Amino acid sequence: MTAAALETALAGEHAAIFAYGVIGARLDQARTGDARAAEAAHRSRRDALLLRLTAIGATPPPAQPAYALPFPVTNQPSALRLAVQVEERTAAVWRAALRETTGADRRLALDALTDCAVRATRWRRAAGIKPPIVAFPGAPA
Amino acid sequence: MRTTVEDQRDAPTRRAVLRAAAGAGAVSLIGYALSGCGLFGDRTDPPPAPDPLLPLLAEARELLGRYDAAMAANPDLAARLSPVREAHLAHATALARLIGAPEPSATASATTEPSTEPSAPADETQTLAALRTAEQAAVRRAAQACLSAPAARAALLGSIAAGRATHVEVLR
Repeated sequence: MTAAALETALAGEHAAIFAYGVIGARLDQARTGDARAAEAAHRSRRDALLLRLTAIGATPPPAQPAYALPFPVTNQPSALRLAVQVEERTAAVWRAALRETTGADRRLALDALTDCAVRATRWRRAAGIKPPIVAFPGAPA
Repeated sequence: MRTTVEDQRDAPTRRAVLRAAAGAGAVSLIGYALSGCGLFGDRTDPPPAPDPLLPLLAEARELLGRYDAAMAANPDLAARLSPVREAHLAHATALARLIGAPEPSATASATTEPSTEPSAPADETQTLAALRTAEQAAVRRAAQACLSAPAARAALLGSIAAGRATHVEVLR
């Protein structure tokens, strides 16, 4: 149960890392630092998941060479919208992992959910989306 | 045979209904007599332990009141703070439903407003700093509740902890 939830989270992190490559290329200089920091955070969660899944004897799913984007990313506004969506989707997979985990694994999931929610809020503010928060991050709308 | 078994199974319920109608004294006697079969065990058992999420519910309501007071003292902050206030109301409502406690109404915090309003700092920077401190502590308590909760409650509590962390962001 834990392994399946963490594998789903890993698949989400792979997709997020891919998306930030696209996002970073479309942001102006003032925002690229935030995108790079977000990507680094997702890479570090991915690495934590790889270690954990290997430790419990699961086979971590590999990253796909490319992922379909939900809409074309052609400029800064669409890049910011994608960044919001990436964080919301990653938050959702980590939230789902909470009920399948206990102890250190749940701590990992909660920290990840929280970080995704905070980044989603930052990107919403950058995109001028109001309100910049949701009541229950990661919950189905 | 079949009829007899059903009669036996039905018997305590019918008797209970009849005697319950006879008065409270009769009800407690029945409760004692039937506690062995678990039907009326709740009448004689000690009251259940308070739900471990009650402090979190109280905190959500307390935060709600803080935002009401802050917006009353600094109307200019209303646009920024009211979504956070709504989030705390949503948290309180969800927690009350989960626990089975009475749900707050949208105006429930109005009763606490007079006591908190005078102490709310009118200075915007101080107001935001005070709310930030309160939210940071609230994040830690929700996170702790999430980590020690049974599986069925973990997702909601995780969302509340993460949501509170985003409030800190809005207050920067």
